[in-house]
Amino acid sequence: MNSRRHILILVAGLLLIGRNCLAQSVEYRGAIVDEGTYTCLNTTTPLNNGNALIPQPHWSNVGTAALMMSAGAISGTFGFSTATSNLAVPTYRASIHELAADLSLSENVDVVIGKKILKWGTGYAFNPTGVVEPPRSPSDPSDRLSQNDGRTLASITAFIGKNSFTVVYVNDADISTHDFRWGTSEIAARAYVFLDGLDLSLIGHYRESDRVQLGFNTSYVIGDNLELHAEVLGQRGSSLLYHPVILSDDSQQYFTANPAAALYADSHTLFFKTLLGGQYTFENGINVILEYYHNDEGLTGREWKRWMNFVTFHNGVAQTPSPSEQALAPLSRANILWALSTLSPRGSMRDYLFARGAWSEEKWGLEAIAFVDIDDGGSMVVLPTLSWQFSSYVSGYLRGEGYIGASGTEFGSLFTTASLTIGLQVHL
Amino acid sequence: MNRILVAALAIIGVAIVFPPRGFAGGPPLSEASDLLKRSDLTRNAWETYLNRTLIRNYEDGELKDEGAFEVSIKGDSKTLVRFLNPDVKGQYLLMLDDAMWIYLPNTRKPIRITPLQRLLGDASNGDVARTHYAADYAPSAIREDNLDGTPCYVLELNPKRDGATYNRIEYWIDKEKVQPRKAEIYLASGKHYKTIYYDKYAMVSGRLLLTQMTILDRLREGRKTIMSFSDYQSKEIPEKYFNKDYLENLK
Repeated sequence: MNSRRHILILVAGLLLIGRNCLAQSVEYRGAIVDEGTYTCLNTTTPLNNGNALIPQPHWSNVGTAALMMSAGAISGTFGFSTATSNLAVPTYRASIHELAADLSLSENVDVVIGKKILKWGTGYAFNPTGVVEPPRSPSDPSDRLSQNDGRTLASITAFIGKNSFTVVYVNDADISTHDFRWGTSEIAARAYVFLDGLDLSLIGHYRESDRVQLGFNTSYVIGDNLELHAEVLGQRGSSLLYHPVILSDDSQQYFTANPAAALYADSHTLFFKTLLGGQYTFENGINVILEYYHNDEGLTGREWKRWMNFVTFHNGVAQTPSPSEQALAPLSRANILWALSTLSPRGSMRDYLFARGAWSEEKWGLEAIAFVDIDDGGSMVVLPTLSWQFSSYVSGYLRGEGYIGASGTEFGSLFTTASLTIGLQVHL
Repeated sequence: MNRILVAALAIIGVAIVFPPRGFAGGPPLSEASDLLKRSDLTRNAWETYLNRTLIRNYEDGELKDEGAFEVSIKGDSKTLVRFLNPDVKGQYLLMLDDAMWIYLPNTRKPIRITPLQRLLGDASNGDVARTHYAADYAPSAIREDNLDGTPCYVLELNPKRDGATYNRIEYWIDKEKVQPRKAEIYLASGKHYKTIYYDKYAMVSGRLLLTQMTILDRLREGRKTIMSFSDYQSKEIPEKYFNKDYLENLK
């Protein structure tokens, strides 16, 4: 979206809330975050050899400001961010993360219209049943930089005692240009029941010209310490784009156009996304979360190896072409880029383990996250964070990221090997 | 015949030497439940109400941390806690029957939590959210004691609902005023966990209500938490506010 239009809409949103403020009390909260990151690059990975194909910065700085305001039925979250690095000039962005009206039709029926973040899952790092939620990073599930955007939707919810029923229509219409265009329509429904301590939500979702997804999520507490949760989402076939090389042992193929295709579009096979997890709180306050995530749409270990062999071959041609391969080097670089476009930033493989341990005292907290790929022999991302509360208004954190794995594994092949981030947060 | 007589005398003798705890110098156990219900009124004067709760956490006498909360309570099974500190503004804790959820504004969804997870310092979620002891605990014994010159009944409480915060409580209730005075809390392992003193009461709208309690951490010496309750007001709160899925609509 061009920034002038962004700012106009942002001002309109603030005025709308401001107008409501005359009659209603206003609630607000906000945070300003600034964090600097130093990154150790993986210059030997065939995915980005010598940091040449998609140059990554050694250091970067991100500053964000987010303000949530509400008055009466209207609420909105507005953001401003700036980013700079050793590779790029500073960029600035104003955003309306959310702007919605929440209207009560009766004592037990609410309607929401506008841009809003809706999350339906019970999992911590993975939410397969979060069918209408914005994408998020498993390595930053708490959205510390307030970068998540809501989706444009209209929803109606009936609250029936402890239970509820929601139907939501989503259409991410394009308002970035002067030609208004509707986006793809989605409709989703959730029936939630709370029965004898068991949370259970049944979820259905349909995206225009795509397939129906059905699933459920649940959570339950046993005793004083243990919570268990699960999510399952199923669909027939898959619209996900794959690189065809995952089905071939011939890694020395050249494609002259992006070959990514929905290989299972017409399949009648059932594809499931499954999450099983739990959290345990010890008597001394230490909290541990463990989750196992399986995605039938992810790559198997064998498919990943074929994909890696293909990229490794093209990296060889692009880096040290033989005289006969000189002319093919640019095409090999294009083939690597096309292959990379079929990976998901949220994990491309079939099975993952997530573990998080957290301990906090009055002023400080310690958190350690490990995100393990089971299919490639255990490559992993490790994320330790030390946070410090200077006052109710100011906090700081030191956050590390380490990518561990042999060459050829998923996390051992990423563009970076480690990074260190120092951040400061001011709450309003 | 003599054997029966001897056995009967033996039983009576044992009963005199080791009397059932309900008869050890206090009212019968059947009255303990009523006593507990009446003492609950010093924390829950109305069916639906809200108050402001301030938690101050001390270590070796030094103030380490404090947090302010708005607590809405409906009946004995619904509590909504709104976090007021700037760093956690927009965060809510919902208790419904035996279940608890925390809503974090950044993650934008309610997360199911266990009763042991702490609100702030040594205050458990349950210290703020679960104020109806008669609904959560059943007295299993009663005796009399003198606490700093005040005659008290001492009730031994065991959980009768899964969501009860503690495993075992010894609960001192002022005999005359029927006010809680002190509680000793024990973990399932038998470890002495906390001591709670119900320090201050004040008249609010013609009712005597608890306005301060002090929690001493028995696992970590030198740590204590003071909880203050103010701005009690009777208020009708819509039922949907206590629905897990309504949390995402709260501002």
